Amino acid sequence: MLRALFISSTACLLLFAVGCSRSGPQAGADGTGAETKSLTIGVAFETLQTEYWVAGFEAIRSDLKQRGYTMLEAVADGDANRQLEQVKNFVSRKVDGIILVPKDAKTCLPMIKAANAANIPIVLFNRPADRSDAKSVAVVADNFALAQETVAYLIEQAKKTGRKHKAAILIGDLGDINAIGRRDGFDTALRGNEAVVEVVARIPTEWNQEKAQAGLVNALQANPDISFVFTSSDFLLPSIVSALRSSGKFHKIGSPEHVLLGGFDGDATAYQLLKDGYLDATGVQDVNFEAAQCVQAILDLRAGKSVPEVIRDPGFVIQQENLAEKSPQMWGAQIARKK
Amino acid sequence: MPLSAAKDVLSRALFSDYFVLWLCVLYAAIIAPLTPGFATPENFGNILATLLPLLLVALGQTLVLITGGIDLSVTAIIGLASIVGALAINDGNGWLAGQALATPAGVLIMLAVGAAVGTFNGVAIACCRMPAFIVTLGSMMAFGGFAVWLTQSKAINLLPAAFNRLGGNTAVACAITVVVAWFVHIMLSRSLAGRWLYMIGHNARAAHLSGVPVTGVRIAAYVASGVLAALASVLYTGQAETGSPVLGQRVLLDVIGATVIGGTSLFGGRGKVLWTLFGVLFLKLVDNSLNLLNLSIFSITMAKGVVILTAAIVDSARHRLVGRAHA
Repeated sequence: MLRALFISSTACLLLFAVGCSRSGPQAGADGTGAETKSLTIGVAFETLQTEYWVAGFEAIRSDLKQRGYTMLEAVADGDANRQLEQVKNFVSRKVDGIILVPKDAKTCLPMIKAANAANIPIVLFNRPADRSDAKSVAVVADNFALAQETVAYLIEQAKKTGRKHKAAILIGDLGDINAIGRRDGFDTALRGNEAVVEVVARIPTEWNQEKAQAGLVNALQANPDISFVFTSSDFLLPSIVSALRSSGKFHKIGSPEHVLLGGFDGDATAYQLLKDGYLDATGVQDVNFEAAQCVQAILDLRAGKSVPEVIRDPGFVIQQENLAEKSPQMWGAQIARKK
Repeated sequence: MPLSAAKDVLSRALFSDYFVLWLCVLYAAIIAPLTPGFATPENFGNILATLLPLLLVALGQTLVLITGGIDLSVTAIIGLASIVGALAINDGNGWLAGQALATPAGVLIMLAVGAAVGTFNGVAIACCRMPAFIVTLGSMMAFGGFAVWLTQSKAINLLPAAFNRLGGNTAVACAITVVVAWFVHIMLSRSLAGRWLYMIGHNARAAHLSGVPVTGVRIAAYVASGVLAALASVLYTGQAETGSPVLGQRVLLDVIGATVIGGTSLFGGRGKVLWTLFGVLFLKLVDNSLNLLNLSIFSITMAKGVVILTAAIVDSARHRLVGRAHA
């Protein structure tokens, strides 16, 4: 017994002693000549669950490869504590920069602080952090403006029908500032248009397809005359199509029974639905622009240049009228063509 | 002669309580030269920091598994305790914001949440004779959903610095975990309550006939599991400096995997704190090294599953051999 306790205590103490003997902040970016050597960039994504994140991940990989840099990858599978461990792994491997997609705006703060302490530039891809003394750069789409513009287009289409529409919005995880921006853009676009569109269902999805489908099915049962649906992300479109189809409400644009449908992201499903004439409009995030900006921000930070805290991706709204013109810029269309 | 000596060493290692620890050493020795950044003080610090809360949850699971039960609700307890604690003590609009005793009060509230869920589980299983799997699965869904509903899935930060240090400072987290693990070890190995847990796991009917208060001990095991999951939540929340209703949502497989790898039986009656410690250490070493090898998440998940399965098969074979040797 005593031997067992002795061995276990010694093992714990050894691990503890080694664990606590961390070295201080590492000298990382010196800002001089950084671009001339081959850099190693740690890329930590919260999830690769949706097409958008996969496209973002691949865009960053491709950008780094083109520049001749090495990419270390880590995916946290939705676990914030695991992501903190992964970022600390990057720090211990003394990477030259970190690109991070955090789970939410708050749990990433200790990760940013860990990178700051090691003097490693850190850039957040598509999800900004909450305000704090931790220093980072975020490259994000203008969620509010893009959602507002998309919904404004849908309202214009609604007006053309000459009748009042009942609307449902599928809201994302409210711990995600992007979801809040898109919801607020939707609400702002509708303000003053209550005579045309009345919101009868606000469906919380927490970025979960099953919850989205169940929520919309319930909403359609409670309000069978819903004729206007906006989703905060295109990855929920298959769930929406399924719910509309099971309710007998999935009809092409031009049909009197068509449900006005709008989305956000610009994925391959959205492109296909636009092409097939079921989707009216979607706000497209420019994944390649965002990936390139992330890498450039790291290089600029390493070079000691001034970089704004938030770099905006203006994005664009794609709809039936500009589909042919804009689809070459739509990342979802590029994926759809490769399939 | 050298062959028989080697066989003797192998046999002693195989039948030793420290078998999984030797596996850890062997694994680390093999993987270290292949994995850049593995054998560094910073990385061992990372492993230790992430091992501590997992060990606490696994210790609670060990107690429940020894009685022949299982607690699937630990992830919901971690999330619920995290968000309730953060609601109480956050410096923004917390009920205890700015109070001198906010941190200890917050910890007590979180432990009370764990104890409450554990009591619910224990009473449903021991008094209502419901299957542990179904009760704790239902609890996981109900209390997990309740945690998300409380803040509409929002995370809460601005927690007191003293609270964040409990999990964020590895020395403090290590001290807490060592004291708790020591206490559980003494309870299991030297107290009457520990003997009762093993007796119930071996044969609950015989334990009852021998005068063991089976119902009370079973409830206590689930309460302990709930409290230890809540204590792990204190560390996880401190590390993330944020209370989140989905904190620890993905650790269930790690908790059960580590406990079983250590040698605790899923059928009850067998388990030790030391075994669980080694199981958790092995799992964290595997997880950490696969991450550092720059494998994709899909490869890591597959590799981790294969390693856990292999370790479980080896451990099961070892116990069969031990059984034959004693027969």
